[in-house]
Amino acid sequence: MLADTAKAMQRVCFDSEPSEADLELLGSRERWLVYRSLVRTRLVGVIEAALPRTKAAIGHESLGRIIDEWLSTGGPRTRYFRNVPNELANFAIPMWRDTAEPWIADLARYEITSWSVRHAPPNRISDAAFSFEVRPVVATAVAVLRLDHRVNETPTPEDGYERDPVILCIHRNQEHRASHLVLNPLAADLLEAWQRGDETVSESVHRVAATHDTQISPAFIEKLSTLITTFIHRGILLGGHAPPS
Amino acid sequence: MRRRGFSFESRVMDREVTGIGIGLRYDLAVELLERRPETVSWVEIHPENYVDRGGRYQEMLDLARRDWPVITHGLSTCLGAVEPFDAGYLAQLGDFLRELEIPWHSEHLCLGQAGDRFFHDLLPLPFTEEAATIASQRLAEVRDAIGAPLALENVSYYAPQGTNGLAEVDFVVEVLERADAKLLLDVNNIYVNSRNFDFDPKAYIDKIPRERVVQIHVAGHHVRDDGLRIDTHGQPVPDDVYDLLSYTLQKVGAVPVLLERDNNIPPLDELLSEVDTLWSIYRSATEVTRAG
Repeated sequence: MLADTAKAMQRVCFDSEPSEADLELLGSRERWLVYRSLVRTRLVGVIEAALPRTKAAIGHESLGRIIDEWLSTGGPRTRYFRNVPNELANFAIPMWRDTAEPWIADLARYEITSWSVRHAPPNRISDAAFSFEVRPVVATAVAVLRLDHRVNETPTPEDGYERDPVILCIHRNQEHRASHLVLNPLAADLLEAWQRGDETVSESVHRVAATHDTQISPAFIEKLSTLITTFIHRGILLGGHAPPS
Repeated sequence: MRRRGFSFESRVMDREVTGIGIGLRYDLAVELLERRPETVSWVEIHPENYVDRGGRYQEMLDLARRDWPVITHGLSTCLGAVEPFDAGYLAQLGDFLRELEIPWHSEHLCLGQAGDRFFHDLLPLPFTEEAATIASQRLAEVRDAIGAPLALENVSYYAPQGTNGLAEVDFVVEVLERADAKLLLDVNNIYVNSRNFDFDPKAYIDKIPRERVVQIHVAGHHVRDDGLRIDTHGQPVPDDVYDLLSYTLQKVGAVPVLLERDNNIPPLDELLSEVDTLWSIYRSATEVTRAG
């Protein structure tokens, strides 16, 4: 039956070690090991393209072991080749948090977030200019990332990164590359509120400022204007939608 | 089910796909889109690389569409899997194809998925009645879902088939006839298979119903030290594949030919030199067809 054949192919390609029974079922041990190699080489290639610094930090063999472990859970669920590294990262980052140097998981999160932003969907269309009365529209290729280590700073130090928390806005720039801005906690909360888009700008500014015990003073307004200008200039903030009447 | 108010046939007339095309790939796109060589008549894309994706890929596609008709060639809706299709994806694909005004879409006659897991490679179907039944039903299902003409592509394979099935070409023709489908005939795949499994590639071509062929693929392949040929799309097209292309075009007439190059991508001029060779073969072979 074709279903049995397909399952045997899956096990041969993704199990830690292909079983002799499956290889016999499929009919040619040598040639099905060729398929196993072709399938795995392609997947490893795209993962290494997405996580080059993580690979350099933990080593080729260590990355290979965790890819093997992930594949042995059955293989990628995504039909999109570009999303294969995201599935590996979702599997590996919790493990790296527990077993690797403390900054490795942050580095992998930074790299996979940058990869995701590069390949994010096209922007939604806003139907109004940005103002305090609209619900803001933020570009799709924007992510707020809270890190315990400044792994965005390169090159990677010989002894790794010391703990030094930072919040980044990672976004797709005009050249379609991932770029980042360092945000303070209030700006990060504002941007996340604007990404949700369920409040007007005015509502979100008042709520977030109150959460941070911050007065809406002239100095605050000036900083907020600078932030908004930067976001608009970088294509992070696209405009807005008029709130429902 | 066809979507109302949309006619692929009428749009084909507007953006006719003929002659030699090239696969639009990230690594060659900058030079290709800047120079826009006139010898390239159309481009082919893999929709999975563009659906729901902005950034550079969106820009590449927008730029390509200014000058060239675009053909789509799917990677993940393989016709041989046994799982139900993802209706959401097929709807998304259909929307994407309508936006591109494609004259036809193609998918591989292979197994790319087991359960909810994807191989991201083209694994071979057994050439059995069961697989032919499944593939032909699925082909019709996809065709209805996307509302566009659908061609299947013959794939390369490396593992020998069991003795209880059909010959590869009979399997392909069986699926074509059952589904009343179009064929994207991959000449390099036939050549690779013929060398790996010792059959006459021209005899394969002779058995193909010519009226079903809407497009041809050519590419290069890798020859391993042990002689096994792997369809890498990473080398120049070899002379034997050019010869088989010439033979094929004389049989099927002037169907559009795509140069596939996915790996080890050389400077554009090297690819354009292959495009020139393809044009020369295309013109001579199709003149012979017309004269005959």
